[in-house]
Order: sequence, then C-alpha cells, then structure tokens
Amino acid sequence: MIRLFLVDDHALFLSGVKAEFEDMSDRFEIVGTASDVDDAIEAIRETNPDVVLIDVHMPGGGGLAVINSVSETHPDVTFLALSVSDAAEDVIAMIRAGARGYVTKSIGSEELAEAIERVHGGDAVFSPRLAGFVLDAFAHGLPQPADPELDQLTPREKEVLRLIARGYPYKQVARRLSISIKTVETHVSSVLRKLQLSSRYELTRWASDRRIV
Amino acid sequence: MDTVAERRREIDIFRHATDRIVAGVAGGLANRLGVPSGYVRAAFVVLSLLWGLGVVAYVALWMATFERVEDRPPRLLDNRRQMGLGMMFVGALLLFRTVGWWSGDLPMLIVTTLAFGMAVLSDFDWLGRLLDPHAARPSKWRIGSGVVLLLAGLVALGGALSQLRTLGGITLAVLITLAGVVMVFGPWLVGLGRALTSERRERIRQEERAEMATHLHDSVLQTLALMQRTDDPKRIVTLARQQERELRAWLYGAEPGPNGQRFAAALEEAASRVEADFAIPVEVVSVGDTALDDVTRAVVAAAGEAMINAAKHSGASEVSVYAEIENGRVDVWVADQGRGFDLDSVPPDRRGLRDSIRGRMARVGGGAEIDARPGEGTEVHVWAPLSGEEGESR
Repeated sequence: MIRLFLVDDHALFLSGVKAEFEDMSDRFEIVGTASDVDDAIEAIRETNPDVVLIDVHMPGGGGLAVINSVSETHPDVTFLALSVSDAAEDVIAMIRAGARGYVTKSIGSEELAEAIERVHGGDAVFSPRLAGFVLDAFAHGLPQPADPELDQLTPREKEVLRLIARGYPYKQVARRLSISIKTVETHVSSVLRKLQLSSRYELTRWASDRRIV
Repeated sequence: MDTVAERRREIDIFRHATDRIVAGVAGGLANRLGVPSGYVRAAFVVLSLLWGLGVVAYVALWMATFERVEDRPPRLLDNRRQMGLGMMFVGALLLFRTVGWWSGDLPMLIVTTLAFGMAVLSDFDWLGRLLDPHAARPSKWRIGSGVVLLLAGLVALGGALSQLRTLGGITLAVLITLAGVVMVFGPWLVGLGRALTSERRERIRQEERAEMATHLHDSVLQTLALMQRTDDPKRIVTLARQQERELRAWLYGAEPGPNGQRFAAALEEAASRVEADFAIPVEVVSVGDTALDDVTRAVVAAAGEAMINAAKHSGASEVSVYAEIENGRVDVWVADQGRGFDLDSVPPDRRGLRDSIRGRMARVGGGAEIDARPGEGTEVHVWAPLSGEEGESR
C-alpha cells in the first residue's frame, strides 16, 4: 500500500485523480491533498507520505518550491511531477530539484498508477517526452563537459532512452535490447542521477532556451 | 500629437500628483532633481520677485510637463484649493508691489491677471470632462470667470502695446500675447491629444481582445460545443487533443524560422492531421531540428504515411513518433503497440508501403525499415542523410 499525497491547484483535476485512486484502494491510500504551496509543505510534513504527486505550476512558487522545502526536512518523500506543461524548462527544473519522474496530465490512470509504484520502488519514470528532452539536452550541450562521467550518457543509456522516446514500455525496451527489466530500470535511474547531479549549468540554460515547446 | 506626447515623456519630469500646492510643478521638479520640494518652491518665489521670472518659468514648466494620470488622486477638493492658492499668490504679488520690492505697473497687472486666470482654469482636464459624459462637469462660472480674466489680461496687454515704442518692447508684448493664447488653449490641446492617445491605446487593446475572442470562439468554444454533442469517448479525447495542440501553437506561437517552417513543426503538423482524421492520439517527440528541404519534406511525408497506416490498421490506442536529427542525418521511428502483421503476407499491390515509404526514401538517398511481427506491434523506421546545412540543435 502506497501512501499518496496529491498537490494540484485545480480542484477539478484534484478530485478527478482522487476518484481514480479511490478505485484502486487496494494499492493506494490517499493521505491528503493540497491546492497551494504553503498548505502542501505543511501537510506533507505532517502526513509524511510515500509519494507526492505534484503539479508544476501553482501560485506561490509552484511545485519547485514544495520539493525544495520538503526535501530539506523529509528527504525520504518521493516526488512525481505531473503537469500539463511540456516546456523543457519546467521538466528539467523539476527533475533537477529531485523529482523522480515527470508525466503529463494526459497519462492514463493505469499508467499513472504504475509510474507511482515505480518511483516508490526507487526507480525513475521517463515518459517518451522526458526521454526526448534528456537526449536533446545531453546531445546539444556544450562540447567540453566538466565531468565526463556525469555529463555524458553511455551508449547503452542512450539506447534505452531512445527506445523509451520511441514509445516502448520498459518491458519491451528490455526485450529489444535483450536485457532484463531490472537493467533497464538501472540505466534509467542512472540517467536521472546524472541529470540531477550534472554540473553543467548548460542543462538549465538548454531548458530555458526551449521554453517554447 | 503622438510625437509631442513622446517628447514630453522624454523630458521625464512629471507634475507631482500628491506633492502639490498649485499644479504640482515644483513637487515634480524636486522629485526629478532629488531635492526637497520646499527649496524648489522657494526658488520659484524668489524668481517671481525678479520681474516675475518665477511665474513665467512655472507656467512654462507646467505646459511642458505631464501629470502621471495613473497616480492622480481624486481631486474634487483640489480645484477649490488651487483657486484659493492662486488668489493668495496674486495677493502676495500685489503686496510685494506696494512694499516696493517689485514695481512696473502694467506688466505686473498683466502677469498677475494671467496667473490668476490660469489658477482658476488650472483644472487641466476640464475640456476632457466636458467630452466625458461620466465625469462631473466643471461649474460654468468658473470657466467663464477664467476666460474673462484672461481676456482682461490680453486687453491690458493691448493697452500696454500702445505705450511701448521700442521694437524690443513690441516684440516682447507680442510674445507675451502669444504666451497668453498658448496658456488659454495649450492645456485644451494637450488634454485633447492625451485623450486621443489613450483612446488609440484603448482601441488597440480592444482589437487584441476581439482577435482573442474570435480565436477562442472559432476554436475552443466550437470544440467544447462539439464535445457536448458527442457520446463517443474516443472522439471526445481526439477533439480535446486536437484543440490542445492548436491552442498551444497559438499561445506559444511556434513561429517559422527565416526559411519558413522547420522539420519538427512539419512532423508535428502531419501528426495532428492523422490525429484529426483517425481519432487516435499521435505522440511526437523530437530531438534536434533542421530546415525543411526536399529531403526532410520527403521524410515527413513518409513518416506521415506510416502514421496513417498505424492509425488505420494497427488497432493500437496510440501512435508514437520519435524523430532524431543528429550527425548529419534524420531518423524517424513511427511505432504502435497494435496487432502488427506478417511482412511476407503483404500483397505486392499494396502501394502505401512500397511507394509512399520505401520509394520516397530511396529517391532522397535514404531508406526505410519495417519491423513488424503479428501481435507485437509495428515500427517503421525511415532515415535520410541531410543535405547542406547539417542537423543542429534548435
């Protein structure tokens, strides 16, 4: 049972998602919801959920502010960003702040449930679009990375990302590359770590250059 | 009037809306110079003792400057206060004259009369208020008395003219007359010009709003209306997605580059056409971008054909398109998780695959690869070398 917290400033969306998860009450327990930044920070600290499903754009600093303040006191809380925004800037900023994944609001409810279970299990969630952003960011950053370990993707990681960007679920990615799902998840997690730790401020600049998507 | 208004703005001195005794000129000037407004007022008074220079300077500055409309407080009481202060000022001038600090009878009379007239008429916006039906009308006697006083000043000036014999004196008198005329009509013209400018600004704003309303009506409202009349959930999703795509394009303006549309945008457009025609979501992810030329156009067309095939035959709930422009070549994968098919069983007369995809790519020096197995979905991969200007990050 995953203890879930929902943050979204659109009441309609919030109640819709809540209803969907109440149908899956054997897998998820909703411990709380919030519709603005301050409430969210306070309530998340109080309820200490496993996973927070967080909206990117909210008045008062947005999801970024929530992630930043909660992870200071509660580093164990996992964040999965959920937004209508496809802008690279938002996506990369949330991931670099520590979100374990990023999905768009058009995602189906079963896919969303799987994504939440995956981040709760410690893995990262890459939607096709996020995979595309990451490939683009690493491919077109500065030619001379400060730390090649961190600032470049291995050929295998690139292959995995490409297949995700091509729309394949993890299971099929594994089959196509003749590796196990666990290995796919390891690759994806290490890409996420590189994205979060990479010293290149160019990543952020790359993203803000692509504000318009 | 526009240039005048702009020039005025460049002067960058505004009549102070709140720190004011007569019209806020001293307050505004002090604000601009960064000195206490009391000093500036004192300077005006001292200058007034020197043949009325202070009054002339004050009036000149008044006409050359602007009041910031946005920070003007309600000024109902203000008008009466200004009038009173104008009279006090005249009284002070008369007092100075009696004491003997400043003499010269006729010019003195003229200046004081004009100053008084202006003080009465100092509500800059009275013409604007006459034109604006919602504003309170200024009292008739106030306008009347102001005009009478100004006319009296001019008549006195005329009398003075007959006494002045020297050429310099006449020139001076003519200048004063002109100044008087400007003082009477200047504020009206300025007020009129300002009204015109703000009216034009308002009109532009309204046009923008109208354009926005038209767009929202033609697109969003129509789509919402369509959705209310549809029971088919699949069609609702398609309509919503199509509208989302359109709205995003309109809001964020995927503007075409100097050479027109770019590759990624063209691919996106092809995808949205398939989405609309076959009621199936097509997710497009692009890495990098390039110009649209014969080669890349062929890639878009072939990929579009593959999308149509996937939408028509696969039975999948979604089509994924991934495009990559790197190392001088362009690759596009069109994949679905549908029923797939046996490549060998495709009858040779099925032209779509052979001509529209393979043939098209071969003609531009690229190729196509179809990966399909029954029950495991289909993936079409098309690629071509880029000509000339290489793939670049957007």
